[in-house]
Amino acid sequence: MHNPIRWMGRWSVAPALVLLAALAIGGPCQPAWSQDPQPTAEPTTQEPTAEAPGEPAQASAPEEAAALPEEAGTEATADAASGRSESMQWVDEHIFDLDRGWLLLVVLIFCGSVVFWIAHARSGRPVKVRKIAGLEAVDEAVGRATEMGRSVLYIPGIQDINEIQTIASMTVLARVSRTAAEYDAKVEVPTSRSLVMTTARETVQAAYLSAGRPDAYNQDLIYYVTDEQFGYVAYLQGLMVREKPAACFYMGAFYAESLILAETGNSIGAIQVAGTAMPAQLPFFVAACDYTLIGEEFFAASAYLSGSPEELGSLKGQDMGKMIVGGLLILGVILTTLASATGSEVLQHFVDFLTQNVLT
Amino acid sequence: MKNLDPDKIKVILATDCGSTTTKAILIQKVGDSYRQTHRGEAPTTVEEPFADVTMGVINAVTEVGELAGRRFVDDDGKLIHPATETEGCDIYISTSSAGGGLQMMVAGVIKEMTAASAKRAALGAGAIVMDTIASNDKRKPHDQIQRIRELRPDMILISGGVDGGNTTQVVQIAELIAPAKPRPRFGGKYRLPIIFAGNKDAAPLVEKTFDEDVELSIVENLRPVLEYENLSPARDAIHDVFLEHVMAHAPGYDKLMTWTDAPIMPTPGAVGNILQTIANTQGINAVGVDIGGATTDVFSVFDKTFNRTVSANLGMSYSISNVCAEATMPKILRWVHFDMDERELRNRVKNKMIRPTTIPQTREALIFEQAVAREALRLAYQQHKEFATTLKGVQQQRTVGDTFSQQVGGQTIVDNMKLDLLVASGGVLSHAPRMNQTAMLLIDAFEPEGFTTLAKDSIFMMPHLGVLAEVHPKAATEVFEKDCLIYLGTCVAAKGTGKEGRPCFSYEIKGSSLNERGEMMYGDLKLFPLAQGETAMVIIDPAKGFDFGNGPGKRIERQVKGGTVGLVLDARGRPLALPEDRATGQATMKRWVEAMNMYPGESRK
Repeated sequence: MHNPIRWMGRWSVAPALVLLAALAIGGPCQPAWSQDPQPTAEPTTQEPTAEAPGEPAQASAPEEAAALPEEAGTEATADAASGRSESMQWVDEHIFDLDRGWLLLVVLIFCGSVVFWIAHARSGRPVKVRKIAGLEAVDEAVGRATEMGRSVLYIPGIQDINEIQTIASMTVLARVSRTAAEYDAKVEVPTSRSLVMTTARETVQAAYLSAGRPDAYNQDLIYYVTDEQFGYVAYLQGLMVREKPAACFYMGAFYAESLILAETGNSIGAIQVAGTAMPAQLPFFVAACDYTLIGEEFFAASAYLSGSPEELGSLKGQDMGKMIVGGLLILGVILTTLASATGSEVLQHFVDFLTQNVLT
Repeated sequence: MKNLDPDKIKVILATDCGSTTTKAILIQKVGDSYRQTHRGEAPTTVEEPFADVTMGVINAVTEVGELAGRRFVDDDGKLIHPATETEGCDIYISTSSAGGGLQMMVAGVIKEMTAASAKRAALGAGAIVMDTIASNDKRKPHDQIQRIRELRPDMILISGGVDGGNTTQVVQIAELIAPAKPRPRFGGKYRLPIIFAGNKDAAPLVEKTFDEDVELSIVENLRPVLEYENLSPARDAIHDVFLEHVMAHAPGYDKLMTWTDAPIMPTPGAVGNILQTIANTQGINAVGVDIGGATTDVFSVFDKTFNRTVSANLGMSYSISNVCAEATMPKILRWVHFDMDERELRNRVKNKMIRPTTIPQTREALIFEQAVAREALRLAYQQHKEFATTLKGVQQQRTVGDTFSQQVGGQTIVDNMKLDLLVASGGVLSHAPRMNQTAMLLIDAFEPEGFTTLAKDSIFMMPHLGVLAEVHPKAATEVFEKDCLIYLGTCVAAKGTGKEGRPCFSYEIKGSSLNERGEMMYGDLKLFPLAQGETAMVIIDPAKGFDFGNGPGKRIERQVKGGTVGLVLDARGRPLALPEDRATGQATMKRWVEAMNMYPGESRK
């Protein structure tokens, strides 16, 4: 039997790419058949008229229709002067904004690398992902809790479920819960948002089910404490000192409470694994915890833990995209520096071209 | 043991009762030092029709007596001791691996934590671990019970939970074993010994779980806290149970036990014992390997931590097919410097498996067997590295500097750069026609880095000396140094990778008989004669990126020992990589074989 998700994944890549390309190049430009009353001309180019002060810049549909031939005529003259064919003009006016062609290229490179690496991974060739110590340590931390007969404390940050870090945290929670189910350890998840509690319950329940231990799932161990930042932290500190969990996971968005939690965890001798994309909190976690997932590692957890070719390929593709961006940034800095240092007109033209055409 | 003044001990008799042969050695005080003087062997008689291990012992000892001109056995067939001027011995000691040695099953809560510690305790005591039961071993309880019922271990070691920690799962393990009622190998009336070395709070509950069908001993927890491993009480208990229960039920061992002056030890346990003694007294890191027909044992002592592994399916006769399957034929053939017909080789492998006592009759057969041995040793060492690790589940201390260099617990403690002594034993290594072949096999399989002394156990004397170390450490150390080990020489190898033909290091050797200087290119191998007992000063200036122990590119100066092979300078880099292309690989291998003078007089192109 076909796996519907896999089947969909196989065929959905190409249309998705086309859609992305269309979105990138289409942007605010509307096709001729669109009934949207938005003007095709960019608002920034339109001066507000003296006859209608205070009126919104948005023109009504009939007015726009009337204005179109005139504007088109003006643009057509300009395009003819620049050597553009009529068909290109028509495409530019009615379907795509060809001035944004560079964006299309960038989108194609980025999406292309993702698609390429997904295909590469699907073909069965190995995709190397370096070991992430923090995720490798999950078994060790839960194992410690099991041997010591104590619980595992999981803190999914202090933000709500709309925060991307909280969502990433749920992926790690699934893995921690699954391991805990296999080892027969207790996982306690106090949350500071009610929606996070609901999501965490679903996540943990699914993990216990997939581990073949639905009977061991206890929803009372995943509970809401308070929305108040320091009320929540005070509760957690008290819990840690009283219960002395053997393993503490801090995964999500943290602010001032990061060091308070990590130091308390350290003092009770727990193995601590932290993961956050908050740059200001990372040094505290690194210093006080056993393992820390740093920024992107935290978001890569899903692909790393699942090991599925689609996710690994996507991760690799994104990394390639980042490498390209990084490379271009360095190139841009060098060119700009050289242009200003040498006063070379050629370099300056090139830099101007990049900033005014490619990057706009 | 009887209270004997160590200085008055002059004649020591030691036997090792193996599965097929009982080996006896005689150690005597010659002048001021102890030396191994004679040896003899006879078939082991533990099986029917004799079913009495002492008969083989008497035969082997009689042979030694005849060679030494000394009478060891009286008219009643008993050993004579204490010694007089012309007969008897002051001490008689023995080891045993007859009947498959000590076979154990271990259990713990988490496979990588307490169960791993239990396995280390059992292996260190010289046992073969048949299976490890753990709560996270991915098996359902009924599968675990089935497995326990199928196995017939000599004893079971249960661990789990730190002191004051988990009791529930520890009792659950006991509850799996109790109803399974595992049957022991020997004796119908024999009650299966079970050693409990887990959470002390769980001990009364575990005691309640078992009935009179088992002989339960409770010892100190082998992981009282996760940060510390306390293996000695469990190992001692294993030795006691081995003597009291297992040996007592094996044919003739009850009589043998009354003869010995020290408890009979399992052979691998004794080998580990002598290696530990030597490593600790000399302050070195050592690795020992014993490659047999069915199994390969690897022992290591790094920073005073002892580890032993038994690779049950890696051997040179019964397990040779498995070596070929696990390593694959292309990997084996990369060590052969000429074309071989793969079909013919497969026949050779199967023949060796069904006729385990045959030895190679042609040069080609020898070269192929040594190629298989390299892979068996490499795989066994790899397994050893994976097992000999730091403890898991331990809290780490970090600084901000560790941001990008975090490592999980359970990293291997085996570090080839720190390795000082590599000792080989087992037929394919000990009985190789030339010592150069033994040295090359060791270098290729273990890939030592920096400065490593290579040696081989001359007549597999290490088990005897392991027991002797318990009774008379001085005699054991002296005999080990002077008679047990045959020093092959020293390997000086570069760690790092480079391009073929590029400079790897320059060297200067200053010795009484050897004075050389020169440069080694990447991929080169050179052998310099440096006789046993000689030493030389070697100064190495590594090229950028190559390390000899002082860091990449840093100069190093060390004194090296000579041996029957000499001084080997190895610029092949580490990890050792052979060319993928078969023709290039053969040419490279041929160059190395010639450099090491492995098969002299070889006319093959």
